[in-house]
Amino acid sequence: MLKIENKADIFHYRALLFLLCLALFSLLSRYFYLQVIDYDRHFSKSRINSVKALTTYAPRGLILDRHGEILVDNYPTYILTVTPYELRDQEEQFVKLASIIDVDFEELNRRYKKYNRGRFLPTVIAKNLTFEQISQIEEMRLEFPGIQYDRSDERIYSSLLNDAHFLGYLREVDRDVVPTLDKSLLYRAGELMGWQGVEKQYERELRFSKGVDYIEVDTYGREIFRLDQDNIPAFPGEDLSLTIDSNLQQYCRNILQDKKGSVLVSNVDTGEILSMVSSPSYDLSVYRGTTSQTEWDSLLSDQDNPLLNRSIGGLYPAGSKLKLITVINLIEDSLLDPLDNLLCTGIYSPPGSSSEFRCWNENGHGLVDLNKAIAQSCNIYFYETVQLTSLKKWTDTAKKFGFNTLTGIDLPNEKDGLIPDKEFYVKNYGRWGWSERGVLLNLTLGQGDILITPVQALRFVNHIASRGDTAQLRLNLSKELSYYDKIIYQDKIWNHIWDGMFDVVNGDQGSGWRAKINDSDIKLFGKTSTAENPHGEPHAWFIGFFEMQDTTYSIVVMIENGGGGGAIASPIAGDIVSYYVNSSKSFVEN
Amino acid sequence: MFLEQFSSGATKDSLVRLFLVIIGLILFSLLTLYSISDNPLSFNSAFFRQCVFLILSFLAFLIVRNIKIKTIHDNSTLIFIVAIIFCIIPFFLPRVEYTYRWIDFGLFYIQPSEYLKCATVIVIAKYLSNHQLEVKDSSIILVPGILTLISAFIVLNQPDLGTTVIICAPLIPMLLWAGVSNFVIFLIIAPVITVLAASNIVVFTVWALIMFIIFLIFQANIITKSVLYFANIFTGLLTPFLWNNLAEYQKQRILTFLNPDLDPMGSAYHIIQSITAIGSGGFFGKGWGEGSQTQLKFLPVQESDFILSVLAEELGFLGIFFIMILCFLLIKTLLDIAFRSSDYFASLVIIGIASILLSHIFINSAMTIGLMPVKGLPMPFISAGGSFLLSCFIMIGLVFSFSKN
Repeated sequence: MLKIENKADIFHYRALLFLLCLALFSLLSRYFYLQVIDYDRHFSKSRINSVKALTTYAPRGLILDRHGEILVDNYPTYILTVTPYELRDQEEQFVKLASIIDVDFEELNRRYKKYNRGRFLPTVIAKNLTFEQISQIEEMRLEFPGIQYDRSDERIYSSLLNDAHFLGYLREVDRDVVPTLDKSLLYRAGELMGWQGVEKQYERELRFSKGVDYIEVDTYGREIFRLDQDNIPAFPGEDLSLTIDSNLQQYCRNILQDKKGSVLVSNVDTGEILSMVSSPSYDLSVYRGTTSQTEWDSLLSDQDNPLLNRSIGGLYPAGSKLKLITVINLIEDSLLDPLDNLLCTGIYSPPGSSSEFRCWNENGHGLVDLNKAIAQSCNIYFYETVQLTSLKKWTDTAKKFGFNTLTGIDLPNEKDGLIPDKEFYVKNYGRWGWSERGVLLNLTLGQGDILITPVQALRFVNHIASRGDTAQLRLNLSKELSYYDKIIYQDKIWNHIWDGMFDVVNGDQGSGWRAKINDSDIKLFGKTSTAENPHGEPHAWFIGFFEMQDTTYSIVVMIENGGGGGAIASPIAGDIVSYYVNSSKSFVEN
Repeated sequence: MFLEQFSSGATKDSLVRLFLVIIGLILFSLLTLYSISDNPLSFNSAFFRQCVFLILSFLAFLIVRNIKIKTIHDNSTLIFIVAIIFCIIPFFLPRVEYTYRWIDFGLFYIQPSEYLKCATVIVIAKYLSNHQLEVKDSSIILVPGILTLISAFIVLNQPDLGTTVIICAPLIPMLLWAGVSNFVIFLIIAPVITVLAASNIVVFTVWALIMFIIFLIFQANIITKSVLYFANIFTGLLTPFLWNNLAEYQKQRILTFLNPDLDPMGSAYHIIQSITAIGSGGFFGKGWGEGSQTQLKFLPVQESDFILSVLAEELGFLGIFFIMILCFLLIKTLLDIAFRSSDYFASLVIIGIASILLSHIFINSAMTIGLMPVKGLPMPFISAGGSFLLSCFIMIGLVFSFSKN
């Protein structure tokens, strides 16, 4: 039976009725207050005029280098805005405008549509106007109802450092993008926001906070009175100090002129990046809005991809530096005696196979022990010894050093690279399309499917230089010091690697002897790599570290398709280290 | 005409009154929409579109009022599940206006949460009208509470805070109507007040004392009472701690979520304009089509969210007074019908519907006069908008259907 008697009682009926009366009475009394008691004030406000709110702006924070040198500054320009409902004859006014300000009629229409955000809000239609153009518009003011000009800041870059990828740039926000952005930063279509680099990473800090000026306007929109007491002031953004040393940055950039590649220099103890160069580059001021379409197209279609920050977004085979991973595994599990000699004849044939693998030194290295294998980067030594370890062990150790994961450096669009593990091979080559022994031969040379970014190589060398305990890489000088997960090995493992890396630069026939610097106080450790790749000449790598005035510094040089790591990358690294050592010394003396 | 099936004289009178009140509200709506449309007879004007929606909604009303109450009662769980599924569908579709509120049917959009409000009321009414239920037991709040939370959680994630509030609104009136003890009602309200009071130590201490006294007065198991009391106190003590432990941007996000338009050029500006428009209307108003704030377009979203501001400017306090009288009659008539209904389930559903309508009326009006943040909730029968008008007429159709003998 559906019917159940209604159990509602009169008390509950009255309670709900009381609630209803209370709600409506409170609303009505507020209406009464506004419309009857406070009527005069509101009426006079509405009859003669109305309140209009004008957004006010403040400058964006500056970007400085570690010594306080200004890298990115603001400079004022004039912009032109249109308030749609105040326009009288859009077409006629735009034609007239176009003849004054040097922008075609179609372009004005396009921007008007693109950035329009409502009938009552000003829309930016032109930027970077000259003072003459503004004067002309001011003279003809009566012919341009609804069109105003305004001051607006643009970014300007220090002429010495106007092409550093890590700085990034600003771009206008499209109407469609606005709802997806952080609401608390109050973006409006047509405003600028950080789009790349630290400009994007530290948008929240750099961006100013908007203010509001309330003004009374008459029914024609003319300003009558400023209501200063209600105004909300705008505040400038915070300045951002970077860890970059702009002298060193400039030196490294000049060295990479006409080359493709990346250079990174960091302080191992603090994780501070002193220099981050990616070449080829482009002038950041192309984003200021006066760049022609053809210039743009040539930038976008350039085969060398100048827009890419190779230091964090370029993926490359690692090459021989990953031989050190094999070294760690061998000693940790006591799989060989470091003093044992193996014979390198220049050719290696895996047991039970007819294929031949060659050493880069076709004549062979002769008898090779661990130290010599690192110093001279002997392939045969590692072909043989890597067979004592397993794929899982190898990939686990590589991942421990941060390969295959982001370094977490404070820049957007970092890539994470690839360390192929068993799952990867099964997925890509099938269950039987590969063998563990076979892939280890590739992996131990840092070849095969391995891909790393230069900044991952920097993290790797920092782990070695600090014996496992190194600071998180960063570009923001005031960011709190933090550390990567500690990598714990016995001292003898670190000692063997250090000894090998010392001999790479300083030993007899070390592969990186060209990096050696003429300063007996500085001990440079290093490792060269020559990374074969399908796109042409091998990539030349050098990673290294040195201690100066109780601080450890590290360096990564990568020249894309440059050739041998020893011949090409090592001398560049040596030059940079000498420059930095000398300039630091003269800095101390002064 | 369509009232002949209703035998009871008093109910019949109530239904006639309900119908007249709604016609009154619609007349005000059309009058206002005609006044703000530049060209009211063109197909694109808010006025013309609302006329079309009214015809469609009235057809829906005629259909719904013929559905038998037994059909709805027996299928209430199914109705609720279908409504829930429809609310989840948008999460798998491309976003419309950056939310998951709408389903795009090409010609028009449907906002499924409009119908979830009603479905939640129906399923809770079915549960509470079960004659085997022990209403004096505190555990009675569990099922209605959980059902409400499920609906609220889905809608909150769309995200749509306004509709979430509307979904929660009928719970307490319906429980009250079902005759649960005041202690149970108190149990629901107490944590909300606790969290709100937690920001100020003096307020919190006073509230803790009041709560203590109330817990003493009510008859219940001493252990249950002390557990509930201390649970409340701990929640209150933890709130500021949790809040302070949030990072600045997280706090900002919560604040932005509660009040979506912190932009001083946005909602604050809208409310200033709305208050100026309302205040300048005075007692008699500036006259139909004469509102300077309205006609000069200083007022935002005039045809839906801020339609009452237009009305207040052009027709004055007198106009608003009439609107509020009509709203009072609307809800009061629903209460009368619910009170007189011979069927317990029907009575509970009607109470739920009355709560939904009253919450809409209250939040929308309070927003125009700056008592509440801008939430985008429309005014029943007055604001322009198809989905909402349709759901209002469906609810009224249910009231008519439930009043049949």
